[in-house]
Amino acid sequence: MKFGIGLAALLAASWVGGVTARAESMVFTSWGGTTQQAQKKDWADPFTKKTGIKVIQDGPTNYGKFKAMVESGNVSWDVVDVEYDFAVRAAKDGLLTKLTLPASVMKSIDPRFLTPYATGSFYYAFVLAYKKGTWGAYAPRTLADLFNTKKFPGKRAFYKWSAPGVLEAALLADGVPPGKLYPLDLNRAFRKLDSIKSNIVWWGSGAQSQQLLASGEAPIGLVWNGRVDALQKSGAPVAMSWDGNLTTGDMLVVPKGAPHVAAAMKFIAYATSAKAQAAFAADSGYAPINTGAEALMAKHALPALPDHHARSHVDLNMQYWANHRTEIANRWYAWQTK
Amino acid sequence: MVRVADKVAAGMLRGDEQAAMPGGIAALAGVLPRTTWRRARTTGVGAVLPACVLLFLFFAVPVLALLLRSVLEPRPGLQNYAALLASTTYLRVFSNTFVVAGLVTVVTVTLGLPLAWFLVVAPRFWSRLVFGIVILSMWTNLLARTYAWMVLLQSTGLINRTLIALGLIRAPLPLIYNLVGVTIGMTYIMLPFMVIPLQSTIASLDHATFQAASLCGATRWQSFRRVFLPLILPGLAAGGLMVFVMSLGYYITPALLGGTSNMMLAQLIAQLVQSLLNWGLAAAAAFVLLAITLTLYAAQVRLLGVGRMTT
Repeated sequence: MKFGIGLAALLAASWVGGVTARAESMVFTSWGGTTQQAQKKDWADPFTKKTGIKVIQDGPTNYGKFKAMVESGNVSWDVVDVEYDFAVRAAKDGLLTKLTLPASVMKSIDPRFLTPYATGSFYYAFVLAYKKGTWGAYAPRTLADLFNTKKFPGKRAFYKWSAPGVLEAALLADGVPPGKLYPLDLNRAFRKLDSIKSNIVWWGSGAQSQQLLASGEAPIGLVWNGRVDALQKSGAPVAMSWDGNLTTGDMLVVPKGAPHVAAAMKFIAYATSAKAQAAFAADSGYAPINTGAEALMAKHALPALPDHHARSHVDLNMQYWANHRTEIANRWYAWQTK
Repeated sequence: MVRVADKVAAGMLRGDEQAAMPGGIAALAGVLPRTTWRRARTTGVGAVLPACVLLFLFFAVPVLALLLRSVLEPRPGLQNYAALLASTTYLRVFSNTFVVAGLVTVVTVTLGLPLAWFLVVAPRFWSRLVFGIVILSMWTNLLARTYAWMVLLQSTGLINRTLIALGLIRAPLPLIYNLVGVTIGMTYIMLPFMVIPLQSTIASLDHATFQAASLCGATRWQSFRRVFLPLILPGLAAGGLMVFVMSLGYYITPALLGGTSNMMLAQLIAQLVQSLLNWGLAAAAAFVLLAITLTLYAAQVRLLGVGRMTT
């Protein structure tokens, strides 16, 4: 009897679900965790309220899946949050739909984060982060400290995959001036990384980097600034140093063959608007890519954003990475598995 | 020696199967004429057809498509295989894969044999309890179990903190992000796959064999080595091969508990597929692994016979 009622309820629920699915909807895919939560809260939810278009969250972003969808012509994602170098390469490989955004929207986006196939999603930095109180009165300040295991003993958390960030940090710590970073001197970078190799713990996801830092498993590391921001907001005793922070942006793209292109364009226009960008920046600690957004933000929230540390930052060169990713990856995995 | 023991095992197994057969069916088997049995055998083909179609559509076809990618992408030729075999990185990842799988198999056998033995000889209550624990661990989500190991093994984890609190060690032991972590985590996951076939093999042994051995003057060690081991060899080989082959393709546990210096092939393939989008090379790597695995399987069938692997 109970089973019968349950079954009826289930059928009713699926019927209702079927009806609402007929309303206009689209799928947004991002990296999960605290970042996607903020994207849902500040972009998707108000967008749905405003337009009636339902936004289904999916994730995490997976480039293999992305490519497989486009190649098979069976695409289920409409807007995807990707790394900048992937956006450049995917455009070249013909995996993306050209954006059609109103001129007023394009004008307000920071031109560094606008291409015919992608707009900025948010602007972030790799920062030196550490657990407070690990070394008594001392606190690490520079990228050189990140590589100094004598002064700051303990495991170091670094991003596991071959991607912009770690190699640049190694070179800067070794004394390469920021202006001469590219083309990357890979031999020198790996020599520097060799000096701390046994102390490296690799993190494969933002959530893992947070866990390593907060637990003290790796009391120091190079992580995404928004993840440290989220830890601080949750009350964890962690801090970051902006010295030599390495900045770049995530991008929003529409896969070729996406089923809801019109809704996707509307969503991107909303997500990159000053209001949505300001709300997301305040929640995530990632800087807005809309030039009008910061005027809308509370003064006290601004110092948490990467673009307020421009004096100490180094821009990661995504064009260089898009052109050399495979070659660097081969070296990277050869070194990692050695 | 092995041969004689095998025959005994095979003979006993037949007896065992007959004993396990419900009386009705056993009686039918005796009554039905031969031709009916032959027809039953061919009509059986219809019954396995759905499974065959499923396997063909969702296993054989994708695998062939993958093989094609390995020789067609980015252009036709064998360059992916050449790249794979020429690179010390990939060769190292291959050897890591076999070292880890081998190590896990050895440890699993070492732990699984006494456990399976215990399950057979222990009083009913205890054997059921322990078997329940073994099965329950299998039913728990793999990811949850792997994360649980992270909590236990990390340097700020339960094991290290306890050892430090007890004054047994000063600095935390490196139990995670290395070979130790992978071996512990994977052995734990593989143990049921070893214990279950082994248990059924041991349960089917005839105690009279051991009585005969001791009557003939065999010591306990001799009886173990020259009677028990040869008799359970098929179960041991079946379990060992299953554990080894499953370990070769493992992804989650090595990714979370291992370090990069013992990266296994599945991680490399995932990286090639997801991040580098080099599907040709990924397909080639997958195929070399498949070929090696099939070779090993063939060797085992040749050496030990296929029928007895199912015991």
